[in-house]
Amino acid sequence: MASNLVFPGDTISGVNIPASKSLHPASGLYRESSCAPILATLAGKLEQNPKKKTAHVTAPNARYIPRVGDLVIASVQRSSMDFFHLSICPHIPQAILPQLAFEGASKKTRPQLKPNDLVYAKVLSASKNMEVELTCVDPSTGKSEPEGLGPITGGMVFDISTGLAARLLSSQSVAVLEELGEKLAGGFEVAVGKNGKVWVDCPESGIRGIYAVGRCLQETDCDNLQKSEQQKLVKRVVKETGLG
Amino acid sequence: MPREAELSNIERTFILEALAQNIRLDGRARDDFRNLDVSFGDDYGACAVQLGKTKVNTRISAEVTKPFEERKFDGIFTITTELSPLASPAFETGRQTEQEVIVSRILEKAIRRSNAIDTESLCIIAGAKCWSIRADVHVLDYDGGLVDASCISIIAALQHFRRPDVSIDGENVTIYSLAEREPVPLSLMHHPICITFSFYHGGETVLLDATLHEEQARDGEMIVTMNRHGELCQIAKLGGVSVDALILLGCMNMTVTKVKDITELISTKLREDATQRDVGGLIAELSAQNDR
Repeated sequence: MASNLVFPGDTISGVNIPASKSLHPASGLYRESSCAPILATLAGKLEQNPKKKTAHVTAPNARYIPRVGDLVIASVQRSSMDFFHLSICPHIPQAILPQLAFEGASKKTRPQLKPNDLVYAKVLSASKNMEVELTCVDPSTGKSEPEGLGPITGGMVFDISTGLAARLLSSQSVAVLEELGEKLAGGFEVAVGKNGKVWVDCPESGIRGIYAVGRCLQETDCDNLQKSEQQKLVKRVVKETGLG
Repeated sequence: MPREAELSNIERTFILEALAQNIRLDGRARDDFRNLDVSFGDDYGACAVQLGKTKVNTRISAEVTKPFEERKFDGIFTITTELSPLASPAFETGRQTEQEVIVSRILEKAIRRSNAIDTESLCIIAGAKCWSIRADVHVLDYDGGLVDASCISIIAALQHFRRPDVSIDGENVTIYSLAEREPVPLSLMHHPICITFSFYHGGETVLLDATLHEEQARDGEMIVTMNRHGELCQIAKLGGVSVDALILLGCMNMTVTKVKDITELISTKLREDATQRDVGGLIAELSAQNDR
C-alpha cells in the first residue's frame, strides 16, 4: 500500500506508457520528452491501468479543483444584476452563474434564488486568472436534462471526500447504494457534486431514509469500508432506524 | 478570502426536522458525547485531545520570572489559544475572530479565574522570583465542540506536566535540571471541565456536544463549567434564544454526570501514561517518602 505513494518530483519507474502518448496535466504525471523519465507532479497514490496503458495520481482526500465539465453542488452567496455568485468550496474564490443560464429562463422569468440556496450546475469555464463560470443548462442543447441541473429543493446534502464523489460519478457501483436501494421502500434519489457533496432525497421513506443513506455514505467514506463491511453497515443502520 | 461555508437552507431545515424526530446526523442520542480520545506526548505537559473530528493540542511550559507587583506571593498562569487556518477556513492568522475571543475568555474564566492552579505554590521568592506557567492551545481541526475539547486538553496537560525542582537556601535559589532531580507535578486545586449545550426549536430541544453543522443550525448555546465534586465554576450564555429555567436545571444535572465521566477518563489515561513511563518500576525508587 505504502509503496505506491508518490510525491511531486518522484521518478516513476515500472510504468509502461507508450512514448507516443502525451500525459494530461490532470493525471499528475509529466514527461519532458518521449525518452525522458516520467515524473510525478501531484502527491497521492499512483494508480495504473495496464490494459489501457495509462496511469494517474489520485488524492482521494484532496480539496476540489474546478475543471471544465464537472458537475458540482454550489451554494448561492448573493446575486448581482446579471449573475448569481456561488460558493463551490470555501477554499476557492466564488464562481459566477449567469441569471439566464437556466432552462426556459428569459429576461422576464428569472429564477428566484435566495442566499444559501443550492444549485446543481456544470462548470463552463475554469481558467487560472478568471472566476469560474457555471451553468445550469447543457451548453449544446440548452436543456437542463439529462443531468438534472438547476436549483435543488428538499432532501439533504452530505459532505463526502472528492475521491468517493469521483467514484460515484464514474460508472463504478458503490455497494452501500445498491443495498440501500433494495432495502428502502420506494428507493431514493441522489445527485453527486464532484466538489465532495451528495444530495439525497427519499420521497417515501422521508427523513429516516435520507438519514440512512447519508450516514452509510459518510461512514463508508471515513472508514474506507470494503464491500462486505458496507453490506453489514447497511443492515445495522436499517435496523437502527426501523426502516427494514 | 476563504470563509467558512455557511449552512445551506436545505441542511438547516433537515437538521431541525430530523431533531424533531430525535435523529442526529451521526446517529448519537441527544446527550451523547462523541468519541473522546486523550493522548500524551513524550514531553511532560504535551496533550492531544480528539473529540470526534475536532483535534486540539496543548503544550504546557514553565519559566522563572518576576511576579506581578500587586501579587507578590502568587505565580503567573496564562492560557493562549491559537485558531489557525489549518483547522477551518473560518479562521485567519493574525486577526482574532469573534469566536476566538469568546473561546479564550471562557477558558480564562473556567480555568484561570476558578483557581484550578494553586498560584501560591508557584512562588519561589516573594516579590522576586516565581514560576510562570503557560498553556498554549493549538486547534488542528475544527468540527464543533472547541471549548469542550480545549478545556479537557488543558486540564489533562496540566495534570501531566512536571516542572523543574527548586531548592531555596536563604537568598540563593537552585533550579535543578531534568537530569539532576526528578521534576515535580503542579499543584492543582480542582479540575474544571466545560460542557457546551446547544438549543433548538425555540429553546425546547437540548443537544450535547454539537458538530460543526449542528452548531451552525442552533438557536442558542450555554457553556457550563463544573468539576467532579459538582462545584459550579462558571456559566456563560451569550445571547441566543431564551430557555426555560427547568430545562436549564436539567442541563446542570446532565453536566454533573458528564464531568464525572470525563474526569474519570482523563485519570485513566494519565495512569496508563505513567505506567508506560515507569519502565522497571524505577519511579517508585525516586520518591523520597518512606513507606508507613
